Amino acid sequence: MAADRSTAELERFLTERADHLLRTAVLLAGNREAGEDLLQTAVERLLRRWGRIDGDPEGYVRRTLCNLAIDGYRRAGRWRQKERLLRTELRPPQDETGDVDLRDALVRLLVQLPARQRAVLVLRYWEQLTDAEAAAVLGCSEGTVKSSGSRGLARLRELADGWNDTAAMSGRNGKRS
Amino acid sequence: MSTDVEDLLREGMERFTADLRAPAGLTCQIARRRRRRRLALCSVSGAAAALTAGAVALAVVVLPSQQRSGVELTADVVKRVSSALTAADPGDIAQMSVTTSSASPYGGKTTTTTAEEWSYGDEWRSVTYSSPGHPLYDEGYTASAGSSVYTLVNYSTRSWTKRPGLGRPAAAIPFSTLPASRGCRPAIGAFPLLYKFGLPGMGLPASSLPSTVARSLRTAVSCGTLTVAGRQTVDGVEAIKLTSRAGSPISETIWVSPGTYLPVRVVVRSASGAAGAPGAPAVQQTADITWLPPTAQNLAKLTVPIPAGFREVSLSAVAAPTFKQISSALLPRPRAFCLMPAVNACGNPPFPVGGPPLGSGYR
Repeated sequence: MAADRSTAELERFLTERADHLLRTAVLLAGNREAGEDLLQTAVERLLRRWGRIDGDPEGYVRRTLCNLAIDGYRRAGRWRQKERLLRTELRPPQDETGDVDLRDALVRLLVQLPARQRAVLVLRYWEQLTDAEAAAVLGCSEGTVKSSGSRGLARLRELADGWNDTAAMSGRNGKRS
Repeated sequence: MSTDVEDLLREGMERFTADLRAPAGLTCQIARRRRRRRLALCSVSGAAAALTAGAVALAVVVLPSQQRSGVELTADVVKRVSSALTAADPGDIAQMSVTTSSASPYGGKTTTTTAEEWSYGDEWRSVTYSSPGHPLYDEGYTASAGSSVYTLVNYSTRSWTKRPGLGRPAAAIPFSTLPASRGCRPAIGAFPLLYKFGLPGMGLPASSLPSTVARSLRTAVSCGTLTVAGRQTVDGVEAIKLTSRAGSPISETIWVSPGTYLPVRVVVRSASGAAGAPGAPAVQQTADITWLPPTAQNLAKLTVPIPAGFREVSLSAVAAPTFKQISSALLPRPRAFCLMPAVNACGNPPFPVGGPPLGSGYR
C-alpha cells in the first residue's frame, strides 16, 4: 500500500539525501553537468509520485537514476531541453598534468565503460550494494550484475595498465629531460 | 592488483565527488517550474480555443505560419497527455463507465450495454451489465507476489471460475516501431467491449489481450492522428477536446483535463461495415474516466467478488452456456476467452505450434 507522505517529508528526505544522490548521479553520468540533469529528472519523477511511492524513496530515486543513465536518456537530448536548476559548488577541475593520480584516473576511465557496466560499478563500489541488491535496482539477474561488474573491472584494469604505462613513460621522459 | 583497483576505484569515487553539494530548496524549485509549465500551457490552450472559434474567418487568409502554430499546439497538448498517462501507469487507477451502442446495418433495434471498468497497471476488472443494476459478467485479472489469476463470474449461470496465468494485458508495443496501421490504432484498444466484438483491422493481434487503459490511450494519443479542437465542458468541468481526422471509418474524440492532462472522456465511433467488414454493426462507445489514487479502498475495486451461492465450474463451462443464450454477436464475451485455443470463442485461429506469443499473457 502506498504511504501517505507529506511535502515536509519530501523536503526532509531531499535535505538529508540530495548530496549523496547527486554524487551518485554524477558518477553514473560521468560529469557534473550531466549528473545534475540526471538528478533533476529523477527528482521530478519522485515529485510526481511522492504520495504513492511505497517503501524507500531513496531506492526509487536510485533506480530512476540508473534506468535513465542506462537508457541513454541524455543521448536522446532530452536533458538538454531542461532548465538548469541545480547549481553545485564543485571544485574546478584541477590541472590534469599535475595532481591527477590513479584514483582520479580510474573514475575518469569509468566514463568510457558501457552504461550498464558503469552503473554496476557505481552501485557496487559507491553505493556499497551487494550483487543481489544491485540486481534489484537494475531489474536484472544477479548473474548479469556479476558479469557486468567483472567485465567493467577488467576493462578498468586494462585502461589503468595503459595509464600506468603512459605515466611511467612520461616520468622516464621527464627524468631524461 | 584486482583488490587494488577496486579499492582505488572506491576511493576515487569518494574523492571525485567530495565537494558536490545539492542546493537547498530543490523541491520548491522543481515544483515551481512544473507550475510555470502548466500555466503556460493553459494560456496557450485558451488561445487555441479562441483560434478554433474563429477558424472559419481565418480560413480564407490562413498562412503557413499560422498552420504551423496550430500543429505545435496540438503537439504540445499531446506531449502533456502522453506524459500524464506515463505517470499514471500504474500510478493511478483508471475507473471507467463504458456505454456501448450498436446498430445493425440491416435494421433492427439498437443494442446498448454498459460496463464498469477498472485498470491499474496490469491488473483490471470489468463488470458488464445486461441492464442497469443487473451484471452479466464480472471478470478481472489480479497479480501479486509472482502469481496471477483471472477470475470470471457469470451471473446468468450463477457460476464462477479462476484460472492462473490468464488475462494479463499485452505489453505495450512502441508505436514508433510498428507500421502506422498497427501502431497507431485508435483508443478502441483501451476498451474491452469493442474489442470483444472483434472488429477487424484494429491492429490488435488475435492472440493478445488489449493493453492497459493508460498504455492504450498513450499509444492512441501519441500516434499523431489527433488534433486539438478547442475546449468543451464535460460533466460541468472544462476539458480540452482532441479529435481524430475526418473521414476515418473509426473516429475517436478524447477530452482531457487541462489541469492534469489525463483523459476524462473518450468516444469511439465505428461506421457500419467499418474496416472492410460488410455487415459489421455501427458502434459507438463512450467511456467516462475517473483517475483514482491507489488507496486500499480503491484497490479493492479490482477484486472480483464471488457471490454467495454461486458454484465453481471450469472456465469453458462458466461461459459456454452464455454463448448459447446469446445468439446476437453484438453481446460481449468475457475478455480472456479470446485467448483460449480450446474454446476459440472469438473465431480466431488457434495458437501456432509452440504456443501463444510471448507477452500475450497466456504463457
